[in-house]
Amino acid sequence: MIHRPKSPIAPFGVQPVRILLVEDDPLLSDSTARALRSQGWVVDCTERGEPVAVSVRQDPYDLLILDVGLAGIDGFETLRRVRAQGSDLPVLMLTARDAIEDRVRGLESGADDYLVKPFALSELVARSRALVRRNQARGGSVLSLGNLRMDLEARRAYIGDQELALAGREWSILQFMLSRTGKIVAKEQIIAAISNWDGTTSDNAIEVHVSRLRSKLEPAGLKIRTIRGFGYLLEEA
Amino acid sequence: MTATVSSARDPRGPLQAHARPSIRRTLLLWLVVPLALLVPCTAFVFYRLALAPALDSLDHALDGTALALERLVRLDDGALTLVVSRELDSALRADRFDEVHWVALAPAGQVLAGDGALATLGGPPSPVDWRFFDATYNDKPVRVALHSWTCVPASPGHDAGLCEARVSETLNKRHGVAQQVLAAATSAMVVEALVLAVLGWFAIARSLKPVESLSKDIELRSPEHLGPVIRPDIPREVAPLVSALNGLFARVVTASAAEKAFIADAAHQLRTPLTVLRTETELALLESHPPQLEELLRRLHIATTRAARLANQLLSQARAEHDRHNSSMERFDLKQIASEAAEEWVARSVDAGVDLGFELESARVEGHGFLLREMLANLLDNAINYAGNGARVTIRTGPAPPGRTCAMLEVEDNGPGIPPEDRERAFERFQRGNAGGTGSGLGLSIVRDIAGHHGATAELLDGPGGVGLKVRITFAPLDAPARPGKSGARS
Repeated sequence: MIHRPKSPIAPFGVQPVRILLVEDDPLLSDSTARALRSQGWVVDCTERGEPVAVSVRQDPYDLLILDVGLAGIDGFETLRRVRAQGSDLPVLMLTARDAIEDRVRGLESGADDYLVKPFALSELVARSRALVRRNQARGGSVLSLGNLRMDLEARRAYIGDQELALAGREWSILQFMLSRTGKIVAKEQIIAAISNWDGTTSDNAIEVHVSRLRSKLEPAGLKIRTIRGFGYLLEEA
Repeated sequence: MTATVSSARDPRGPLQAHARPSIRRTLLLWLVVPLALLVPCTAFVFYRLALAPALDSLDHALDGTALALERLVRLDDGALTLVVSRELDSALRADRFDEVHWVALAPAGQVLAGDGALATLGGPPSPVDWRFFDATYNDKPVRVALHSWTCVPASPGHDAGLCEARVSETLNKRHGVAQQVLAAATSAMVVEALVLAVLGWFAIARSLKPVESLSKDIELRSPEHLGPVIRPDIPREVAPLVSALNGLFARVVTASAAEKAFIADAAHQLRTPLTVLRTETELALLESHPPQLEELLRRLHIATTRAARLANQLLSQARAEHDRHNSSMERFDLKQIASEAAEEWVARSVDAGVDLGFELESARVEGHGFLLREMLANLLDNAINYAGNGARVTIRTGPAPPGRTCAMLEVEDNGPGIPPEDRERAFERFQRGNAGGTGSGLGLSIVRDIAGHHGATAELLDGPGGVGLKVRITFAPLDAPARPGKSGARS
């Protein structure tokens, strides 16, 4: 089920999130736009793919939601044009369930995520939010979620105004997870990511680090959900 | 297709053996009956034709004796005499099989010599030179040769005088000859009839053989194989039938394809309005509303979710049909497929308040990627849906117990489960466990279909600790020969 947003996505009082929605079915476009607006985001809608590349260049959007099946040029072509002009705007593609191979094609063409129609609102909102965050994080050297802030340059973390002390491996793991907010992180991926700098780490060691992180992040209103036999998901509590 | 009343009454169907005309029987009837009539007739004709000359020559031999008698009659000084010595008489009567009697008659009818009683047979002489007739002599049937000649020449005041010689013999030779000819005719007839019958039977059997083997061929076809029947041995007479059948197959294929395309299109078209319905319901729930609307809106949401799921599954089935016939099998690792599904399904399970876990070991199979993902999606959908909030669902891949040669995919939950007596029925279409929920009833039937296509079996077992449900898909070992294109055993 969809809920009201728990925390503002724009923590420093900058402009609200702007989303460009490209969907040719008017009913679907309308209800999707309203759903996104219920989160306090600004949504611009368009039916065709042709004006998208230009719009994206002219206006600062935080997220592009792109339907694959459009009249005129299709979603893939639109995406190609957007990427061709050097834009790394996050893109969420809407694909039909029976064309799951489109997902692969989409990801290869430069989409960041996909959603299968008919989708639940909560999924749309969750994925959109995750992509927007990632984009904001990407820009600067600061990763944030909820009350947590990680200043990558200064190598310091804060919960609200309070500094958070993190051991070396804990920092690496938290940075990895935060940079992939909203996505499930497999244990193997964590091991692979942090083993570069710190030598190889065992499964058990990861578990220990994560459980320590879990207690440290509680005051920030964040939790690390364990996916049994697979990995972890960092989310707001 | 619903059964008509008549076939419901008679399980053997409308075409039964005794009601059907038989080509074999018709052919045999039209050959055997004429044969039965014709062959004896021919034999009879042969008998008569063969017998006649034999009897004729016997007659002429008899006539020879009569002619000899003519030579022996002398006319001395106007008096006719016939002197026959004992030796001559014995010679005249000599015959292996029959009794011979003879008489010579003067023009007035008096006996010149021989068996006088012969003179009473056959009437007064006629101008005919010679003739044969049947008579009875000494209470025995005989054949008589009668020969008359002018023995006294005509003179002034007197007509010519005709003498007569009559020779008779019993019929033994004649009966013997008749029997011989009859035996020959009969045996020829029997042999002829037998040979014709055997040849006829053989010819019919051989001609009908391609038809039988053709019908066996068609019988063995599965409903998916509706391509044309092409065989070089189809007889010309049956070729139009086969041609018509091929035409019918083609029409069925087209109709079936059209049907499937329609279903796919319809499901596709349903997507957008269903998505909109769902979104609007969720938005409505989000907006402030009077409390009495809450339940209504929730039920609305459940119904639209169910409709959306059904549309999705229908579309998947249409896609699966298409894939089944058009793409080839590849090798996959079930562990990988399950891992890729994690992203989408963990989010959904979190949303539903379900703890989704993974126990993945490598398990290699051969199949269609899309279908395997669909199967897993349906299993997870069911588990999350039916187990409900607070439940625990686990995906497991790896070697199947006990032998560990087959690959296995399992999804288990600790929800309400399915009682063992209902498990077989659960695989049927539109059987829904929880009447109030959002399940479509298609999930398990799709799973079984896809499993069957991969040569795998789907089983419903007890969940962990005897609680809930475990669905296990066991694949055939990779080294076993694959059966691409066929739907495999029903599981």
